[in-house]
Amino acid sequence: MRFLARRLGFYLLTAWAAVTLNFLIPRLMPGDPVDLLVARLKGNVDPAAIDAMKRAFGISDAGVWQQYLDYLGNLFHGELGRSITFFPTEVSTIIAGSLPWTVGLVGVATLLSYLVGTFLGVIVAWRRGSWLDGVLPATTFMHAVPYFWVALALVFVFGVTLRWFPVSRAYGLDVMPAFDGPFVSSVLYHAALPAITIVIASMADRILGMRNVMVTTLGEDYVVMAEAKGLTSRRVMWAYAARNAILPNITSFALSLGFVVGGSVLTEIVFSYPGIGSMLLKGVENEDFPLMQGIFLVISLAVLAANLLADLAYVVLDPRTRQEA
Amino acid sequence: MSARHWKRSRTPLRHLPIAAVAALVLAGCSGAPQEKGAAAGGEAPPLVIHAIDAGSFQEDFNPFHLEGVNFGSTGMIYETLEFVNKLKPGESTPWLATKHEWADKGKTLTITLRQGVKWSDGTPFTADDVAFTFDTLKKHPELNTGALDLTGTTVLAPDKVELDFGSTSYAKLYNIVGNRAIVAKHLFEKENPVTFTNPKPVGTGPYVLSAFSSQLYEMKKNPAYWQPGKPVVPTLRFPAYTANAVQSGLQQGEIDWAGAFVPDIDKIYVQGQPETNKYYFPPEGLVSLYLNLTKPAFAKPEVRQAISLAVDRDRIVKVAERDYTTVAHPSGVPMPGGDAYLPPEHKDAEYAVDVAKAKQLLQQSGVNPAELSFTLLVPSPYTDWVNAAQLIREDLAKIGVKVETRGVAFQDWVSKVGKGTYDMTIRGTPGGPTPYSALRTLLDGDLAKPVGTSSSGNYERWKDGETDKLIADYAATDDQAAQEQAVQGLGKIMVEKLPVLPLFYSPAWSQYRTGKYVGWPSEQDPYAMPSPYTSPDAAVVLLHLRPAGT
Repeated sequence: MRFLARRLGFYLLTAWAAVTLNFLIPRLMPGDPVDLLVARLKGNVDPAAIDAMKRAFGISDAGVWQQYLDYLGNLFHGELGRSITFFPTEVSTIIAGSLPWTVGLVGVATLLSYLVGTFLGVIVAWRRGSWLDGVLPATTFMHAVPYFWVALALVFVFGVTLRWFPVSRAYGLDVMPAFDGPFVSSVLYHAALPAITIVIASMADRILGMRNVMVTTLGEDYVVMAEAKGLTSRRVMWAYAARNAILPNITSFALSLGFVVGGSVLTEIVFSYPGIGSMLLKGVENEDFPLMQGIFLVISLAVLAANLLADLAYVVLDPRTRQEA
Repeated sequence: MSARHWKRSRTPLRHLPIAAVAALVLAGCSGAPQEKGAAAGGEAPPLVIHAIDAGSFQEDFNPFHLEGVNFGSTGMIYETLEFVNKLKPGESTPWLATKHEWADKGKTLTITLRQGVKWSDGTPFTADDVAFTFDTLKKHPELNTGALDLTGTTVLAPDKVELDFGSTSYAKLYNIVGNRAIVAKHLFEKENPVTFTNPKPVGTGPYVLSAFSSQLYEMKKNPAYWQPGKPVVPTLRFPAYTANAVQSGLQQGEIDWAGAFVPDIDKIYVQGQPETNKYYFPPEGLVSLYLNLTKPAFAKPEVRQAISLAVDRDRIVKVAERDYTTVAHPSGVPMPGGDAYLPPEHKDAEYAVDVAKAKQLLQQSGVNPAELSFTLLVPSPYTDWVNAAQLIREDLAKIGVKVETRGVAFQDWVSKVGKGTYDMTIRGTPGGPTPYSALRTLLDGDLAKPVGTSSSGNYERWKDGETDKLIADYAATDDQAAQEQAVQGLGKIMVEKLPVLPLFYSPAWSQYRTGKYVGWPSEQDPYAMPSPYTSPDAAVVLLHLRPAGT
């Protein structure tokens, strides 16, 4: 229990640091959102109206300390403020509208890539020396290729040239959001290609990682012992070798779960997918402090939560962590 | 499945991802998406419009909002009092108002309204609505984007309203009647107009909102619209297109009307069908080379003159701007259309490169050649301006002016140019109802703030008594001839004193297909700005459309 309490304390401290950085970083950017707005709006604003607009956006000249206290206070009440880009829509509404797309697409794809990658890693390690070793150079290659390159190549071949898959949006223009067959199938159809790119690009890491740890584990005495006892090879492979080898992979999985929320920016840009990554890009382009802060907050909290989950999983999987130090 | 076959696929999971994909594809096919959306039963087809790049939409149809509000709120749903055609300066069409009259030296404006107009919920449109709209601007200064100096409104009759201003407001006419959408009092008075997102808009315009999702919104024709028999296009569809997606949307022919920059328009969009895949890019603003006049070298007119003579604008338009636009008139007045505003003595002025004369002027200026070394700041996302900057660097090297071009982030550029902490830059100035708007933004002494303080115009920091007098002259009169004369004076200063160096006109983007509908604005008939992102012009365009083949 002390282990958990210590971890929780650590997470609270980290959360405070993240929230504070989150406040500071956007304010270090050059420029002013209203000046940017005027530069973009092509003359729909009379120069004389700019002061009034600064007031509308709540851009105050109050001291940074006061702004920080206000920010913490609002956060405590769950208020993230109103977006400047989509003024006056609340940041929480925007996040609520875009987060499900990201979690749905990237989350499912990450889970899929993890399960399949780990499984393949175990198999490849178990059958080392067979033709399956030929998979390794391919995975090394996939590991080295930048993600957006893979994504663009697939978009070009399967989206633009063959036209098997749509290349943008989360669902077709002929359906309206509703929980019915046409809408759900349209969503799945539109998610297929982006999901495939994520699985392809991230699976290589999983296969390599799992395979390497597994090979080391297979040399351990207890594995040899288990084999010598005459246990079935399936049992040795899964219950003895894989269970021990999977620990580092759990950590990396938890980390990547945290990054599901934020790490999907490239996917969403390539596929014009309306998730949180696209919104973050939009927020950065328009110097939309409230929107950026809201999204960063969600990302930081997601990473922290994922780490906490990983810690908990460790406690379950590895008895050593349960011992009081 | 034979046992033998089963055995051969001992690692069936290797095929799992492919199987999963196949399942997804099949699932998708059962939905049978038909993106073309051809209408059944001989009804006129919907028009698919790309107005601005947006990954997704938020549900905001409040015309008081500048950004965040979805395109079409002003024009299609809410209407203005008059329609002012920026392509024909001085031309104005009665809309919700049938006439306006100034009194009290431009401090009182009496507006007579059209009768028989109804809100789409059936309530009659009256002077109360107009008064309420302007009262809202007074009550909430943050919504007053037209910077109107309103002191009060009076309803004189159900179809007559008087607006009172604290100062002479002739020059603000466009901000009053041209781009201020009138809202319904009976619906807006219950809300806070600053934060109200108006998800169920009720307007007087030709369309009503019929469906909304974050990926697409749709408008249907308002059956009770006050212009009989209009609009002809029954349905408008606005899908969310990012900058990437709009290119492929144009390529695949799913967009009927777009306002996008297309890099290689013949290959991506026209595709060998110039008869149906048309485009029209009239001038919408002025892109100029700014020399920071607070730098001693640029304060000398000879240096500015020399630089202007050395820059090959034809080459910039051809190479950097892909011939999508034209070289600006040296007065900065947009052409064609602005003829009446050209200074008579410089009507036929044209730019011509003259390196020898430029060198001679530099010598005369007495500036030490070693000091002629500058940084040309451009926003790196604007690749065409980055190219133009390179060409300018080459041109100026020929006269011994050393230029280092530097591309910076958009935010950084806006900030540096606003504060005046730059040597040279390229920047666009938006046009307006008449050439006065752009020239005032370029030259008004009041807009120039000291270096270090952000300005909202006059970024070169031009201070000149004669200029300020001409700007004041224009604002002090309603007489079109007198206004033209003031602009001519400003044009003369542009040509002779070169406070900024005009390069080319920034084009309004408009790609339109004539397959479904015809009647679009064109060079021969520029009845409105052709871009779908311009309000309320886009609604005027829609009201001009008729089915193809008629």
